[in-house]
Amino acid sequence: MSKRIVVDPITRIEGHLRVEADIENGKIKDAYSSGTMVRLLEEILRGRDPRDAWAFVGRVCGVCTSIHSLVSVRTVEDALGIKVPPNAELVRNIMYCALYMHDHVVHFYHLHAMDWVDVVNALKADPKKTSELAQSISKWPKSSVGYFSDVQNRVKKFVESGQLGIFANGYWGHPAYKLIAEVNLLALAHYLEALEWQKEIVKVHAIFGGKNPHPNYLVGGMACAIGIDDVSGINAERLAYVQHLMEEGQRFIEQVYIPDLMAIASFYKDWGAIGGGLGNYLAYGDLPWNGFGDTASYKFPSGAILNKDISKVHDVDLRKEDEIQEFINHSWYSYKGGDNVGLHPWKGESVINYTGPKPPFEHLDTTQKYSYLKTPRWKGHAMEVGPLARVLIGYARGREEFKEVVDKALTDLNVPVTALFSTLGRTAARGLECQLAARWGMDFFNQLITNIKNGDTRMADTSKFDPSTWPKQAIGVGYGEAPRGALAHWINIEDTKIANYQLVVPTTWNASPRDGKGQMSAYESSLIDTPVADEKLPLEIIRTIHSFDPCMACSVHLYDEHGTTVSRIQVLGD
Amino acid sequence: MMETRNPHILIMGIGNYLMGDEGVGVQAARHLQQMELPVDVEVLDGGTGGFHLLEYFESYETVILIDATLDERTPGTIRLIEPKFASDFPRAMSTHDIGLRDMVNALQLLGKMPHIHLFVVSIETIQQQGITLTPEIERVMPLLLQQILRLTHKLQYKETVDEIATAT
Repeated sequence: MSKRIVVDPITRIEGHLRVEADIENGKIKDAYSSGTMVRLLEEILRGRDPRDAWAFVGRVCGVCTSIHSLVSVRTVEDALGIKVPPNAELVRNIMYCALYMHDHVVHFYHLHAMDWVDVVNALKADPKKTSELAQSISKWPKSSVGYFSDVQNRVKKFVESGQLGIFANGYWGHPAYKLIAEVNLLALAHYLEALEWQKEIVKVHAIFGGKNPHPNYLVGGMACAIGIDDVSGINAERLAYVQHLMEEGQRFIEQVYIPDLMAIASFYKDWGAIGGGLGNYLAYGDLPWNGFGDTASYKFPSGAILNKDISKVHDVDLRKEDEIQEFINHSWYSYKGGDNVGLHPWKGESVINYTGPKPPFEHLDTTQKYSYLKTPRWKGHAMEVGPLARVLIGYARGREEFKEVVDKALTDLNVPVTALFSTLGRTAARGLECQLAARWGMDFFNQLITNIKNGDTRMADTSKFDPSTWPKQAIGVGYGEAPRGALAHWINIEDTKIANYQLVVPTTWNASPRDGKGQMSAYESSLIDTPVADEKLPLEIIRTIHSFDPCMACSVHLYDEHGTTVSRIQVLGD
Repeated sequence: MMETRNPHILIMGIGNYLMGDEGVGVQAARHLQQMELPVDVEVLDGGTGGFHLLEYFESYETVILIDATLDERTPGTIRLIEPKFASDFPRAMSTHDIGLRDMVNALQLLGKMPHIHLFVVSIETIQQQGITLTPEIERVMPLLLQQILRLTHKLQYKETVDEIATAT
């Protein structure tokens, strides 16, 4: 007989995430993912000036704030037929790469590493052996015996003070932890280094976006003026600082993140066969080299892969009404046309219809509506979005840069390409694309410097900024690849105001409930057959859900069948 | 330990202003940004910043935080807390509490905790959508601003006294 356990953040935001899983004979037999927080950004935007939408959507999420703003300005530019100058595209790309560098490193060390790294065990490590290990895998200079022994003492003191703090919620000592003590200590040391590192790279956003958090964007370009000798604008000194930040950021990723990722992964090769799920992958593409209209120039190519068949990449069209559709069979919404229709976002509706139990409750009735997330489908298929989708699509499209990093990782770990379709593959893909983003960031930066040297300082096209130049009605779609996956906004403009604005965000693709045909989305599907050694400490569920990088830090309570709290851990829910 | 910290006082409002009362901290920061403040007082709209805010916590000696909390007190209740540890933060801080608690833990582990003074405003719900505050919270905004300014003044004055004491 199966037993249902619940993983639910209680008071958190950014769309609380709740997972209910049925366990039988030590494995997950069935799983349900529910967003229990209502999001109605669509209503806030209706009737507003489209040129202001970026500022509102930038607040939707605390982590990838700038990507929503970027996609929003692209959406309005698409509707109004605005083409931004090359420098604005480059600045957007540099900020984008800095976001990836920040986001993926923080996810790996601060939000996901403790699912694999046992902090308490790290206190037993031999600093000398740790130092030898560190020097054998990387030339990163902080690797002396004294350094690791300092880290160990600092954490020991912290743990002994009773303020376990960040480390209070771990399943320390769980049998699923497989690292030797020295690798645990290495990762713990880098956890601390990454904390200090991450606050540097975000300065790129403050420089180009005027402030951080929530940097400024502009419909038609970017709001930063370039003037090499200009005191207040993007001058030579600031550009040199950006270069320094990007170079240092890249060094950390190449010499710390990637070697750590590979060292940890080598102990968890069995996770190359767990948590795969759907096997369908979707990316819209991003990082244009030659204008957003030239999709072939994207560093992240777009496409769809079905049933793990990487010999064929399907093209994706966000404008076609029969490709991307949102369903509400199991979502707390109602459509004018009833529960069984799918709506393309240009015709999207956002009318809440909560029919779930009154909280607090023990279980959701998953045969009925059970989530505030709608269920998006591509040509009727459930799709996974995110780093793994992007990397697989780049790889399957035969892009050399993707092949290079992927093949090297597979060779180093001595695993077949099929190991990518897994929890381990998802976590590895995030590191590999972070490595690529760091390289590309430098390429974009160098191109920006070349343009400026050639006398091109244009940063915005304001010829269509005045609403009197706009048509009476316009529709647009803007899209991109958020760190967590494919993101798109659709807009309808009427009489210079927003008549409808729909967002389909990565976590909606991944965490949504079943569709009318009973097809699971990515989270639910990825949990099927996952072994759970101790149902009171379901570390394995957390590993797989975290591998998707749900966005905002959320507290999770674990309940047993009777609804009593058995454990408290952290999960991240977008 | 206090290497080159900015001696100015940073007032930081945090929250998600798309979620009604949840954004009370951000709304307060925006009011303060419109006001004439002493030159050694700075204001930041921290939004839903999370780890992005670490730099600010590390670089100022004194940070006055403003945030919403779901603590079942009467909506509009204002409290001033001086948290030393993450566990001193209210249990039910709103959207970003794990982010903020994690950050305080991190600052402690790194040995870089500033002096934090935290104003929390009790709110009733976070399920509310929209960029306006409810009347209960709007009504206490002047009081909240007044209390922040009073604390700021007190902190400035004390620092001045300390400086004189050191100089003589």
